[in-house]
Amino acid sequence: MGAGSEGSASGAGAKVRLGVFKLASCDGCQLQLLSCEDELLALTEHVEIVSFAEATSRPDDGGPLDLTLVEGSVSTEAQREHLQEVRARSRFLVTIGACATAGGIQALRNGRDVGELLRVVYAQPAYVDTLAESTPVADHVPVDFSLRGCPIDKGQLLELIGALLAGRKPAIRDESVCMECKRSGQVCVMVAKGEACLGPVTHAGCGALCPTFGRGCYGCFGPKEGAQVAALGARFEAEGMDAETRRRRFKLFTGWAPAFREESER
Amino acid sequence: MSDPVLRRLPKAALGALIARLGQTHTVRGPRVRDGAIVFGEVEAAEDLPRGWTDAQGPGRYRLEREGEAVFEGYVVGPDSPKRAHFPAREVLYTAERRADGKVGFAPVEATPGRTAWLGVRACDLAAERVRGAVFEAGGEPRPAARGREDLRVAVSCTKPGELCFCASTGTGPRAGEGADLVLTEREDDFLIEAPSEAGKAVLADLPVEPAEEGAEAWLDAAMEAAEGAMGRAVEMDGLPEKLLGRLDHPRWDEVAERCLACGNCTSVCPTCFCSTTESPVAISATGIGTVEGGAVEVGAGEAAQVRLWDSCFTEEHAYMHGGTLRPTVKARYRQWLTHKVGSWVAQFGTSGCVGCGRCIAWCPVGIDLTEEIAALREGEGELALPVLREAPLEDEDLVPSVAEVVGVRRESADVVTLRVKSERLAGFGPGQFTQLSLPGVGEAPISISGEEAGAIEHTIRGVGAVTKALCALEEGDELGVRGPYGRGWPMEALEGAPVVVVAGGIGLAPLRDALRKMVGSPASYPEVHLVYGARTPDDVLYAQEMLGWLGGPHFRLHVTVDRAAPSWRGHIGVVTRLLDEESVPEGARAILCGPEIMMRFTVEALGKLGVPDERIWVTMERHMECATGTCGRCQLGPYFVCRDGPVFRFDQVRALFGQEGF
Ligand SMILES: Cc1cc2nc3c(=O)[nH]c(=O)nc-3n(C[C@H](O)[C@H](O)[C@H](O)COP(=O)(O)OP(=O)(O)OC[C@H]3O[C@@H](n4cnc5c(N)ncnc54)[C@H](O)[C@@H]3O)c2cc1C
Ligand code: SF4
Ligand code: SF4
Ligand code: SF4
Ligand code: SF4
Ligand code: FES
Repeated sequence: MGAGSEGSASGAGAKVRLGVFKLASCDGCQLQLLSCEDELLALTEHVEIVSFAEATSRPDDGGPLDLTLVEGSVSTEAQREHLQEVRARSRFLVTIGACATAGGIQALRNGRDVGELLRVVYAQPAYVDTLAESTPVADHVPVDFSLRGCPIDKGQLLELIGALLAGRKPAIRDESVCMECKRSGQVCVMVAKGEACLGPVTHAGCGALCPTFGRGCYGCFGPKEGAQVAALGARFEAEGMDAETRRRRFKLFTGWAPAFREESER
Repeated sequence: MSDPVLRRLPKAALGALIARLGQTHTVRGPRVRDGAIVFGEVEAAEDLPRGWTDAQGPGRYRLEREGEAVFEGYVVGPDSPKRAHFPAREVLYTAERRADGKVGFAPVEATPGRTAWLGVRACDLAAERVRGAVFEAGGEPRPAARGREDLRVAVSCTKPGELCFCASTGTGPRAGEGADLVLTEREDDFLIEAPSEAGKAVLADLPVEPAEEGAEAWLDAAMEAAEGAMGRAVEMDGLPEKLLGRLDHPRWDEVAERCLACGNCTSVCPTCFCSTTESPVAISATGIGTVEGGAVEVGAGEAAQVRLWDSCFTEEHAYMHGGTLRPTVKARYRQWLTHKVGSWVAQFGTSGCVGCGRCIAWCPVGIDLTEEIAALREGEGELALPVLREAPLEDEDLVPSVAEVVGVRRESADVVTLRVKSERLAGFGPGQFTQLSLPGVGEAPISISGEEAGAIEHTIRGVGAVTKALCALEEGDELGVRGPYGRGWPMEALEGAPVVVVAGGIGLAPLRDALRKMVGSPASYPEVHLVYGARTPDDVLYAQEMLGWLGGPHFRLHVTVDRAAPSWRGHIGVVTRLLDEESVPEGARAILCGPEIMMRFTVEALGKLGVPDERIWVTMERHMECATGTCGRCQLGPYFVCRDGPVFRFDQVRALFGQEGF
């Protein structure tokens, strides 16, 4: 809430200049934008794609951007510089996905010896240039709004763009996955099956995807506001989970987000 | 309702009952899905969960195979008919805002579901009444319309569950009121009775026979035994006063350590009615991903107003521009419990809890409200607040009317007065407010600041999305209006005595119409003082008009600003510094509007000058969606600010004023 609720990104009549950029990530989130075929077609009436490696071969004109979507976390010095350039030309910068918002799965290396990891993973580590930690975009530049998820939800992406076009606050509520789970009439897997579920502490947006398939939520949208992680962790243990498993549960896609990190280190 | 006579329905005839119901209705009854018993379509007796039992505990629900009973083996699951009558997500109306600035609104009718609810329990019937009272008081017709043609084939519970306590809430276990047919399961048959005419018509077509002698007595005894077999018990007496009087009880901190603020309890509760709205615009004709819920299709560029379940456990529930009033889990849990089993009584005449136990089972961490209530009963303090409810509203379907902007006046850098033509708003009183809306942007509550030349004025400060869009409107544009709403200033109670009007910033807007009336009738209002604080001299609202008011010999103006250039020769500082024997004459009455903190200091200063709480009126601000008392968002203890306020006599709200989370 708060950030991003102010005003419209569109000047009256003029097309919104959109840029989509990628740092360290898998492209999955950008592909969500491409998968909105029908809507994308309608969108091109309102949106001019200035930079989007996946969608257009037209060269970036380097001019100012109304809406900028950034995918991926910052893992290298070059990415950090690139990000700063992008921020400088952006009016409204949105991070898309768990990587950009919370450091992503790459952040699992955080807190470990990077040199050691590199030797294990790459044959010739000398060619790999990497910062000590994979960090979220907001650690480096101001962010106006964050779309959560791994990958992000197509509906939320369209909602964000639609809201910016209309000058309205995006209907992306910072509430628990449980709220969506209950609205859609799912039977709670935690209560009815004893599955560990991160839904109660996780930011909504996926439509309670995992519980809909009978599994507990993995927390890929990251912590919701005021996430009561310790209380949930305590419940997991009371239900028979050992401490190590509990720590691992909080250490996935968004494990670097402070609330989850705390619980995975407790 | 005539005397229901007991009959016997052989178990083998259950299929005949379902078939008979199916002739006129869609039958929905208990079905096993994903490890729980929820409502689903029932076409034959075999669809029912015969031989299943539900082992329930705090945060735990497991289905097990046991016995041969059709209904008796289990009680309520996470689902309830609430979902059908008050959908988790529904489109209230569609709307359009064209490039020429014109707008349109098209209501979406709620159609009767014609559902026969098979196997609902006494608590479900009670919950429907409790929900019904909420929407009826607000004049919201949709939930009742959806259920109007439903049949309720209820089951009296002979084997209450571990988490049931309907005997304590007086809502069960015997089903009767609200039912069309009532079944009680026995080993070989059902006892069946038909409390309604519709039920009797169904019964007439069933292979029933008179119940044996002594069946009445058996049923009475079975129900008495069931009352004694409830897994939980709660002493409900006096809870409204006790809970409100114990807002600092240590138990709230303790439960806040365990509670996840996830909202599962309110979502499964069959009576919780809080909702929020969204105003999406369909990007393409299908509207996929933006407008869902209900079979409502909208064209590209069209907007919809969507209502969805909310919960007092979300941050947004108590959001007002700039932040939430309930940041802590403690404040949220306290809102839930004090409302559910406390202030609900003042609002609607009954408790909001029907003793179904759902919130205990479906809380992922197993928080048990019966334990919390018991712990909170152990303590000191009681607070009773006056009930302020008025007559129910009529036909408030929440759909705005189109109004035209006939003039725009810029008052200051971020404040604009919109003059709108609207018949709907005619007859408003000073201090009442309107819901102003723009399709695809949203709605915001705005006070009516006056009327001139047939146009109704709203003075708006652009702070967020809706208010900024409203401030950008131009003459000839259209917008949506609903209202007028709320209780305004007590113009009669102010007559004959000196009146002190204290306003801060935009807070002058809701007072302007009252001021105009008082300035215009010196006979009724012999002495009027306006004490006004603005941020800077440039932010002083209605400056031109105020100069005109000064012509009235009974009107005095006292203005102060937070900061100003050296050329400013007026006061600098907070408004309370202007309150003295001169501006607050003996016997004065005061009306206040401004930030809560300003009103708090003002009330204390007025008290020192001899103005008692009963002669001070304040206008309160809380998050608003419906403005009709049906979205639950503007609650202030037992009050809905939208209906019982926004103007309150200060003694009515003093106890809650400044309380965290209220
Ligand atoms: C009875 C009443 C009378 C009011 N009269 C005036 C007035 O005359 N002039 C004026 O400028 N403002 C008035 N306000 C405040 C005004 O309603 C808010 O500034 C406005 O709702 C902010 O909406 P937004 O979309 O611009 O901001 P956002 O921060 O984007 O708010 C989003 C939504 O939250 C709700 N909301 C946010 N802030 C408030 C709030 N303070 N009160 C109630 N709901 C809120 C609304 O539903 C709003 O659409 C009044 C509020 C109330 C309750
Ligand atoms: S399944 Fe998970 S997300 Fe759904 S209600 Fe249960 S705990 Fe919440
Ligand atoms: S508060 Fe709990 S027990 Fe009471 S009606 Fe709601 S869900 Fe049932
Ligand atoms: S405020 Fe009351 S009705 Fe609304 S969710 Fe909370 S307990 Fe339920
Ligand atoms: S009481 Fe339980 S269900 Fe309700 S918000 Fe707290 S943790 Fe969630
Ligand atoms: S109850 Fe909805 S605004 Fe008051």
